[in-house]
Amino acid sequence: MAVGNESLLLAAVVLGWVLTSTLIGALVMALRLREARQRERDKDEAHAVVLERLRDNECRLRAIIESEPECVKLQAADGTVLEINPAGLALVGAERDEDIVGKKIYTVVAPEYRDHYRENMRRVFAGEAVVYEFKSITLKGHTTWMETHAVPLRDARGAIYALLGITRDITERKWGEEQARRHQTELARVARLSTMGEMATGIAHELNQPLAAIANFARGSLRRLRGGNVAPADLLQPLEEICAQAERAGEVMRHVRDFVRKRDTRMTAVDINRVVQSAARLTELECRQHHAKIMLDLVSGQPRVWADSIMIEQVICNLIRNSVEAMAEARSPVRLVALSTSRPDDDTVEIVVGDTGPGIDGALIDRVFDQFFTTKPEGVGMGLSISRSIVESHGGGLRAESAAGGGATFRFTLRAIGRTLLTNERRYSFHH
Amino acid sequence: MSDATVFIIDDDQAVARSLRWLIETVRLKVETFASAQAFLDHYDASKPGCLVLDVRMPGMSGLELQERLAARGGYHPPIIFITGHGDVQMAVRAVQAGAFDFVEKPFNDQDLLDRIQRAIAHDAGQRDKEELRSQLKALFASLTPREREVLDLVVAGMSNKAIANTLGLSAKTVEVHRAKVMEKLHARSLSDLVKLAMQNQPG
Repeated sequence: MAVGNESLLLAAVVLGWVLTSTLIGALVMALRLREARQRERDKDEAHAVVLERLRDNECRLRAIIESEPECVKLQAADGTVLEINPAGLALVGAERDEDIVGKKIYTVVAPEYRDHYRENMRRVFAGEAVVYEFKSITLKGHTTWMETHAVPLRDARGAIYALLGITRDITERKWGEEQARRHQTELARVARLSTMGEMATGIAHELNQPLAAIANFARGSLRRLRGGNVAPADLLQPLEEICAQAERAGEVMRHVRDFVRKRDTRMTAVDINRVVQSAARLTELECRQHHAKIMLDLVSGQPRVWADSIMIEQVICNLIRNSVEAMAEARSPVRLVALSTSRPDDDTVEIVVGDTGPGIDGALIDRVFDQFFTTKPEGVGMGLSISRSIVESHGGGLRAESAAGGGATFRFTLRAIGRTLLTNERRYSFHH
Repeated sequence: MSDATVFIIDDDQAVARSLRWLIETVRLKVETFASAQAFLDHYDASKPGCLVLDVRMPGMSGLELQERLAARGGYHPPIIFITGHGDVQMAVRAVQAGAFDFVEKPFNDQDLLDRIQRAIAHDAGQRDKEELRSQLKALFASLTPREREVLDLVVAGMSNKAIANTLGLSAKTVEVHRAKVMEKLHARSLSDLVKLAMQNQPG
């Protein structure tokens, strides 16, 4: 009996448990469904927000691009202008979109810059961000200089479909640069001329010597001929002398011409030792006048540098002249100018001009390169300033040092080209 | 004038040779030197002539050579400086320091030759004067101290009587000394005496 009851109870419990479980399961499912629906709704709402934001962003971007003072444009790979902002229209000299949109950008690129432009476009479409300058001839016919920063634009799959370019007018900057460059060249020329001025008496002497000799030989010969007491053979020697002296005068003139010629920088591979030797020759007369001697200590192996040999020669002449004048002014008992070249490392050649003069006052050493700074009674104060800018235009630096026991040293470096065999053998020589 | 020599000192040998070629046309002896020092090493003050030298020279400059010659004391031959264009200041300094003349390059040949002739004539004149001066010196050296005293006072313009008073001598004695002085100096008059005394003054 009890058993029968017990079985019933068990069945009831099992049924109850099953029912409860099913109920709970249904409840959970219903709850989950609700949640899912809620999420759907949320997602829709988020989408709407995102879309709205995108639209806002697009409007904002358009507004920014439209009002952007610099030219913003999209170009296709073949150079077709896809879109351009109002500033861009103004920059290329267009009145309406149709003037340029749909047309090739090359119509406003100066012919000699079209290849350069094409090459940069090619790089952008290969995935690079580039900056390039080019000359433009606008639709209105004005010549301007432009600088473009260009980046590739990619679609969702990552394919590049356009070039986004921001272009600005750099005509003024270019003009300024050109002016500065011209100014620099002009300054260097003025410096050459003013050192020429200082050298003028020296050169006049150099020229007067052969001219005087020529005149004397010629007049001596004329006097003998007029006197009728000379054999033709006796005139051979003086005539030979005349020819030799005329050539000597020509040589002086050639040097003077090289010195004053106004020209742009001409970089070539030059043997620095030859430049130093040439400078030593050019300043020989001044050295003699001030009883100074030049000593050369040149590194072997003909170290070659990229340089404008005339300009570097000018710098060295200038430094020699400064030394000689300083030693003469100070009445230095020993007047030596030591010119040396060395190769501190494979990429560098160093040129040093040292002297046995009074050196440079410690308080002044930082000012010697200032324009119009001079300690010479008749100096202009341009020499060292110009020398420094010449060296810097060669990518080097010019420094001044002064030893405690007197003597000034100026050193500058130039970029060496090629590797020369370095040996310990050095060539010493004395120049008068 | 035939024994006069033109001494050319120029570091530029071509110029030196050309000057020799030119100057020899007027039949003058020429000697060339490559430096002031080389000239000094061979210098003989007794040789008549003149110097032609470049102001600008390495080593001892033309001006320094002139100073050296002057510092030796005594007479030295006249110097003609050759200056380059723009060396006017140097030329002025040279002339102030006693140079005879200067010519500026480029110069006219006749001009240079004329100046050389003038310098040589001047040298001859100076040497004559020098000669006279040394003769005078010898004459004056023959005077006794007393005669010298009397001469100085005569030249100072004092009368015999005043001289006698000054020296504490009799007028007669002064008269005798004075006559002796006139005789020794070969002076014929008081004015001769004064002239000779002036010439004998150094300088």
